[in-house]
Amino acid sequence: MKRHTNMTRRRLLAGAAATTTFLAAPTIVRAQGGALKVGVLLPRSGVQASIGQDCQRGADLSVSLLKSLGYPDITLMNADTETNVDVARTRAEKLIADGAQLLVGAFDSGQSTAIAQVAEQKGIPFVINIAAAPPITEQGYKFVFRNFPTAPMILGDAFANQKELFEAAGAAPKTVVFMHVNDTFGMAMKGGIGAVMPKFNMPYQIVEQISYDPAARDLSVELAKAKATGAEALMVVSRLNDAILLTREMVKQRWSPMAVLSMGPGWYEDQYLKTLGKLADGPLSFVPWFDPNKKLSKQLEAALAKAHPDINLNTNHVYTFEALLVAADAFKRAKSTDPKALADAIRATDITDNVSPGPGIKFDAKGQNDKLKDSAIQNRGGKLVTVAPKVAANAKVEWPMKPYDKR
Amino acid sequence: MRSLLLDGVSRRVWIALGVTLAVLLIAPLIVNDYLLTILILILYFAYTAQAWNIMMGFAGQLSLGHALYVGLGAYTTAALYVHFGLSPWLGLPVAVIVSALTGACIGFLAFRFRVAGVYFAILTIAFAEFARIGFDHFGWVNGSSGLFLPVANYTQSDLWNLRGKPVMFYYVLLFFTVAALALCHALLRSRAGYFWQAIREDEEAARSLGIDTFRYKMYAVVLSAGMTSVAGVFFAFYYNNLFPEQVFSISRSVELILAPVIGGVGTLIGPIVGAFLLTGLAEVIWEFLNAFGFDPPGAKQVFYGICLLFVVVLLPDGVWPPLSRALGLAERPDAPDDKPEA
Repeated sequence: MKRHTNMTRRRLLAGAAATTTFLAAPTIVRAQGGALKVGVLLPRSGVQASIGQDCQRGADLSVSLLKSLGYPDITLMNADTETNVDVARTRAEKLIADGAQLLVGAFDSGQSTAIAQVAEQKGIPFVINIAAAPPITEQGYKFVFRNFPTAPMILGDAFANQKELFEAAGAAPKTVVFMHVNDTFGMAMKGGIGAVMPKFNMPYQIVEQISYDPAARDLSVELAKAKATGAEALMVVSRLNDAILLTREMVKQRWSPMAVLSMGPGWYEDQYLKTLGKLADGPLSFVPWFDPNKKLSKQLEAALAKAHPDINLNTNHVYTFEALLVAADAFKRAKSTDPKALADAIRATDITDNVSPGPGIKFDAKGQNDKLKDSAIQNRGGKLVTVAPKVAANAKVEWPMKPYDKR
Repeated sequence: MRSLLLDGVSRRVWIALGVTLAVLLIAPLIVNDYLLTILILILYFAYTAQAWNIMMGFAGQLSLGHALYVGLGAYTTAALYVHFGLSPWLGLPVAVIVSALTGACIGFLAFRFRVAGVYFAILTIAFAEFARIGFDHFGWVNGSSGLFLPVANYTQSDLWNLRGKPVMFYYVLLFFTVAALALCHALLRSRAGYFWQAIREDEEAARSLGIDTFRYKMYAVVLSAGMTSVAGVFFAFYYNNLFPEQVFSISRSVELILAPVIGGVGTLIGPIVGAFLLTGLAEVIWEFLNAFGFDPPGAKQVFYGICLLFVVVLLPDGVWPPLSRALGLAERPDAPDDKPEA
């Protein structure tokens, strides 16, 4: 039987030529102009979508803010890693092929590791915005830099800040009950807390550890168990939904501990504050944050408020902005888009006018900013105030937490 | 064995395969690093798709937890390399044995107790989830903190330790993909292959004909698990980091089965075509959207969804069967014996 088809050889060739032109088009377009081309790799879809999109807000704000600060132009080349290590690697290759002279990303340690290998092979500087796994900067890479605390730094600072707060308040809990989600993050934090806490000689003892499923719809039993321990404070490692559930249970079961000490996300997130209103006030979160007293923090906060009035400045915006600040600063000093010159300039980075707590941005021989400090923040009237460390604080800690039935 | 490999393949198919292989062999000399990365991904999915296809396509046993075997292969070789400096080629047999034994356990539990169909699929998901949670707490491989392989900027490729540039990984994967294709082709024409197809079509009828269905289903599971674990070895040494949540996740299992579903379950070439289509076209779509200034997150997943919908509605047997007919590569319907489609 004769085969009927509209596809002739000529049409196929014409189609192939059109596709090739089309595929080459971005490269041609992006090769023009004198701005530094920064490939921004973030998980804007998949499991980490909301965080990736939040980081993207920080990146988008940076372009005009950095320009207003006198830094040279940067052009963002955005790519979605889809919360997938394979895609992260492919996108990094693609951005470099399209002319990216520096990479920034990727929120997650696995994805950042995959990108780091590509960056190192190609000799393109890669500035990590958020990723806490220590091995990333232990590999002897020459082109990988991280301006974010490692997991041990975060935990160490959390306990140091707690002690500072206890001292400032003149009171400390003698017992705490530790509730944590039983997912990867929760179990990692549990292990880390167990390893780091003994080094800090904390004034309290953990009387019981209660784990639960982060997808649980009801935490009444777990909270009743926690209340029954008679612990003076609640230490938590949680996510957003379970943080809301636990708070509601504390109100329902009439338990107001002296403090809620959160070692992870959930308790300071915008959704938590909006959902719970005045019941959201009081919990303390120990997180990588920003120094509200620094001039640049105020400028970043104002820029965010203008672009997204309903969103509070947070870790995702801050560290993505700072990664781009490092890029722009290196470009300014290197006066070149040559990746090697940029990497050399990043190694010599010494930024004191920055956003994160600590003396500023400076990298050690491994490419890690080891001078970064983490903060203790407290929810107050739908906003977040920094209560420790003292140098980065803009409020005094409210201690003990106001009982839920007296609000 | 020679006849198993050579029989039932027309000259036209040989030429098409030869040309494709020749193109793939010289591809690294022509394409840039980005396209090479895409080709590596395509080969990775083509290989795992063939391994999965043995179980579902040939023997009719639906597994939705194949990430389990990728993860076991990855963790076994990576841990042996990190802790004892054992070459991945020496760790590979251990990984295959671990995965095959795990597959055997799942198969035994399911087939002995007549767990079939969707219930078998749920069992495979359950085991992948057990592994994910178990590895989250397995201190020897750093639990949920992730297992990192030491890396460096290699100027030369070290094939023995699988340390080197992407081009080395490309050729390793190409070798395994071609080997898997040859093995699947031989299997499909072997006694076991015909028994598997009989089980797939009607297990009761197969049993009534005297086929030991338990044994042959076990063969399929064990072989598929062992083969899939080889992909895990590649995964570990290519990406150099392993997190239980990333390696054993259900989404990774689904990712592995998309290529054969799109290409054509039960066919030899279908899974490979599916891998090329899904990975290649997803990149083209991404380029297309970017060229016009669209930057929507998750466009690839949407494309996958549309593609699946398209195949389910219009091409329920996958892309390859009609494509092979259009290209004149399918066996003629009036062929004297009813051999499986190439």
